[in-house]
Amino acid sequence: MWTRRLLLLAGLAYALLLLGLATLDGRLLALALPLVIYLGATFVYGPHELRLSVTRTLSAERVSPGTPVAVEISVINAGPRLEEVLVEAPIPRKLELADGEPSMIATLPPGEALALAYTVRGPRGKHDFPPIRVTVSDHLGLFRRRTRLPARSQLIILPEVSRLKRVTIRPLRTRAYAGPVPARQSGSGVEFFGVREYQPGDPRRWINWRVSARHPRAIFTNEFEQERIADVGLILDARLRTNVRLEGQALFEHAVQATASLADAFLSDGNRVGLLVYGQFLDWTLPGYGKVQRERILRALAQAETGEGMIFESLDRLPTRLFPARSQVVLVSPLCNDDLPMLVRLRARGYQILVISPDPVAFEVQGFGVLEGKGSRPNAPQAALDLAARIARLERVLLMRRLRQAGVQVVDWQVDKPFGQVAHVALSRAPRWFQAVGMTR
Amino acid sequence: MATTAKSRSTGTTLTGTILSIILTTAALGASYGLGGRWAGMLAILSVGLVWLLAQWRDWGWIASLALVFSVGAAVFGLWLGMRTGWMLCAVGAALSAWDLDHFAQRLRSVGRVEGQRALERRHLQRLLVVDALGLLLAALATALRLRLGFGAALLLGGLAVLGLSRVIGFLRRQHT
Repeated sequence: MWTRRLLLLAGLAYALLLLGLATLDGRLLALALPLVIYLGATFVYGPHELRLSVTRTLSAERVSPGTPVAVEISVINAGPRLEEVLVEAPIPRKLELADGEPSMIATLPPGEALALAYTVRGPRGKHDFPPIRVTVSDHLGLFRRRTRLPARSQLIILPEVSRLKRVTIRPLRTRAYAGPVPARQSGSGVEFFGVREYQPGDPRRWINWRVSARHPRAIFTNEFEQERIADVGLILDARLRTNVRLEGQALFEHAVQATASLADAFLSDGNRVGLLVYGQFLDWTLPGYGKVQRERILRALAQAETGEGMIFESLDRLPTRLFPARSQVVLVSPLCNDDLPMLVRLRARGYQILVISPDPVAFEVQGFGVLEGKGSRPNAPQAALDLAARIARLERVLLMRRLRQAGVQVVDWQVDKPFGQVAHVALSRAPRWFQAVGMTR
Repeated sequence: MATTAKSRSTGTTLTGTILSIILTTAALGASYGLGGRWAGMLAILSVGLVWLLAQWRDWGWIASLALVFSVGAAVFGLWLGMRTGWMLCAVGAALSAWDLDHFAQRLRSVGRVEGQRALERRHLQRLLVVDALGLLLAALATALRLRLGFGAALLLGGLAVLGLSRVIGFLRRQHT
């Protein structure tokens, strides 16, 4: 590589030689000699060929946010002795260095290896490690040979998953396999469904003696509600316009965590779950079951980012064909007023809709409070802010009320509370004695 | 043995750099002072001081400017009739200071240096050999008196420039 130092030195040597020739002054030529010898030494000792190979190993390839990951890099020299080797391992943009140094300089004899170790940590996302830069020079450092050695590594930092107790859903249609979702059909189950006339083969303990006593000529047995697994379509709203970002904190991160927790809960119950990230593009994870599907969904969520697209500005473009008819749809979105008609339409088509809505108004108001504490709040009078917050809150309450009136189940989530706690109160099945005494959550 | 960035600005390299700067300034300043060029001496001393200050303040760009200034001052000194030996000594020392300054910057710019003492020792050895050879050849060149005609001088000079160009061109091809 042609360095500026070399240009400077060569320029000076040339200038002295030309000046010496022009003035026919041998002393000037003599003055150029130390510089020329210095340049010549680089010619003799400079690196001529590079035969390097590199390996990079990560202590883990998928972790949760903030977990330190140890990175080890080994550069092996299969060529001649290299006098000065500078190894630089750039860190992906969003990761931060937790410990160690990602660059080093050393002499590398033939057949030996240089080891570089450091620790990184970072936020949710898929982080690709860039190639390793190796710069080799002689001791005088005038000529350099630079190469990029690809050592492909990827670190996936998955969203945090809170373990939720059973999330109650009640779609109109379920699948054929046994599961935890009430199927709206009689059969073997736990929950009482109704009574019918006794048929041969019915277990005797199912006979409803109280009803049978009222009908002397017939015997009646209890029916129970079948419990099956269901199709669950998770929709994560990644539209930029609905997601608030304040001082490095994003409401979207809460939404991602909630989606991950819900996916985990639904899959743990044996349901068939698919995910749609609705933002700048549509990122669709095909429905599936079990641990593999959990991994697929978490990986998709790890890569989810907010984006702005003209086409997907409103929920009107929601591809409903991706979700089986009359299945359960769970939308995780801060919501805006334009979303109401689409949700009502979905409901009208027979989808059972659950909306988890991280509250953007409370998030923003809280954010302003934090900014005020730091003394960096934008110049806005307190009264105006209060009024704006109040109006926004009223609009949101109205939206929620309309959604509930349309038969949409809405969970209004203020993100300062953990999602697990909110979900436990709003989504878990009420105990039997609640129902017995006529209480609902 | 590996060292961290903090400890790297001290040690042999820094001592060598400071000594080289002092030698450059002393050689040039003494020549100019003895020749009664007080303004020149003052300028040389000022540049020397700034160069020394740059070691403390970590101003990497000063070294190249100071090298150009030192070579310029040596050429001007020769033109004024000052002693060639002092000027050669000043250019050699300036070259060493410039080299060591950049070496120290390279070491500071990386997170970790493996075997720093050995690396510094080898660098200094290489620099001393190169500097000594350069000064020796330059001293021989000034001591030798050959009577050449204009044509021969032009031919030799042309060959020198051509040779240097070829060497640099070759290196450029090799290293890109």
